[in-house]
Amino acid sequence: MKSTSPTWLLTKRTLVQFPRNPMVLGFSVPPVLIMFLVFGALFSSVRHLPGFPTDNYYEYLAPAAVLMTTVPGIANSAVALATDFQNRYLYKLLTTPASLGSIVLGRLLADGARLFIQGGAALLLAIALGAQIATGFAGALLMLLIGTLFAIVTFGVLTANIALKTKDPATVQAVFPMAFLLIFLSTAYQTTDQIESGVLRAIVAANPTEYVLRAMRDLMLTGYDWQAIGVAFLVILGLGLLGLPLTIRNYRSVYR
Amino acid sequence: MIQTTTSIRLAPKRETQAESRLTELLRSELPRRSARSRRDPDAADGDPEAIVAEGLGKSYPNGTEAVRGISLRVGTGEVYGVLGPNGAGKSTTIGMLGTLVRPTSGRATVAGFDVVAAPKDVRRNIGFAMQEAGLDELATGRELLVLQGRLHGISRREATRRADLLLELVDLESAANERIGGYSGGMKRRVDLASALIHLPPILFLDEPTEGLDPRARTAIWETLERLNAALDVTVLLTTHYMAEAERLCSRIGIIDRGVIVVEGTPADLKAAVGGRHATLEDVYLQFTGRGFAEEESFPAEVIANGREAA
Repeated sequence: MKSTSPTWLLTKRTLVQFPRNPMVLGFSVPPVLIMFLVFGALFSSVRHLPGFPTDNYYEYLAPAAVLMTTVPGIANSAVALATDFQNRYLYKLLTTPASLGSIVLGRLLADGARLFIQGGAALLLAIALGAQIATGFAGALLMLLIGTLFAIVTFGVLTANIALKTKDPATVQAVFPMAFLLIFLSTAYQTTDQIESGVLRAIVAANPTEYVLRAMRDLMLTGYDWQAIGVAFLVILGLGLLGLPLTIRNYRSVYR
Repeated sequence: MIQTTTSIRLAPKRETQAESRLTELLRSELPRRSARSRRDPDAADGDPEAIVAEGLGKSYPNGTEAVRGISLRVGTGEVYGVLGPNGAGKSTTIGMLGTLVRPTSGRATVAGFDVVAAPKDVRRNIGFAMQEAGLDELATGRELLVLQGRLHGISRREATRRADLLLELVDLESAANERIGGYSGGMKRRVDLASALIHLPPILFLDEPTEGLDPRARTAIWETLERLNAALDVTVLLTTHYMAEAERLCSRIGIIDRGVIVVEGTPADLKAAVGGRHATLEDVYLQFTGRGFAEEESFPAEVIANGREAA
């Protein structure tokens, strides 16, 4: 009989335990709701500017709301990993034939599934505020997939490495604000045309979040732009490959 | 070197229902256990030792030499204790043998497998209960054991069956469905011990199994270990800084000081070597290291008394 993959067993362990820590599930909604309400009130007039892609500012904000949920939310994986280090459960797992890779991936996949659902809640919130998704249900799923995968390969990998290196949940938590920088330094709230500073435009152009956001926004506002979607997946793949050597190096440091 | 022996001192007690079912289970598992613990082809033919370390050492990049060349041999079915004060290198040694710490010198085999070259094979053959019980506090006792078993490739049904038997064996059947976060220190140690046994490993590593526990919980762990050894007949390597624990549980003891084993033998032989039947293991330690255990390392008198009563 073929034995079940350790990655799946560890993913399932985390999925089963999510409801036992309702704070993790519940606290993703208020920040997004506040974002919709505050940014909606502050910037909604930009929709009247020539060239703004939609009449409904919540539609424009919705992809950013998904990223606001998935990118900082994935760091919970790393906090849990660091906690497993601290209470030594990770070493217990390492005395089984399961590899460290399976342990980390199992956690990331479970959190990915959680964030996919929580990102969906952010979209539902936008719909409740009057937004519409141009590509419908299938487009929404694709948007959530892009948002979740991007969170895993960027902030997920970064914070998992910090957890592997420091084994300290507090240090991982200290990195949380970086997630907001990734999103704020993009066209999450307004279009490139409305950014006056050349330096800021250059930063936005260099920020990988921007390319993921563009694909997601197209799915929200216009339709399937396969070129933009392709670029988003290339960015995700590229960042994943970039994080790999760092992760392998930090894996080694676990075995003291 | 003191003359050594591999005989087991632990007197089997009256078997509980869980123990007899575990024994039965173990017997049915024996062919698989033998296959699983097949030896490294490079290992010496007919080598009866479950654990072999030759000049095993660990230095850290900052120059700290945690272990300076440990050599030991533990026979199959033997209970071997590594006794020494805090900081002597016990946890690093057991960590290297359990594949959690990478040695920087020497060589070690566990169940015939090299700990560096074949860590996964080693892990299939060992159970490891840590100094600080490494547990998932959100899981229930049963869930923890079942997951641990599943990670060792055991089917869900079989893992559940074994989990129930082991929880009964460590007196946790009534708390099986409670979250570990709510367990007492002693309960955590017992569930950790049970989780180390879920795949019925032929070799068990116990790092300071009663560290930080109150006297009652310590005695309970000792009794559990004795019952387990009687029921499962596993090879046990345990580290401790409690003299009474080493004396009660181990068939052979290696005294470790500053990263080296300075002397080893049966408790009786060790004591005989320094002054006969009135000598204590502390006298042995003093004789071979030139220093006594620090006051805080001494075992509380009431625990020794409890331990002897229970024995």
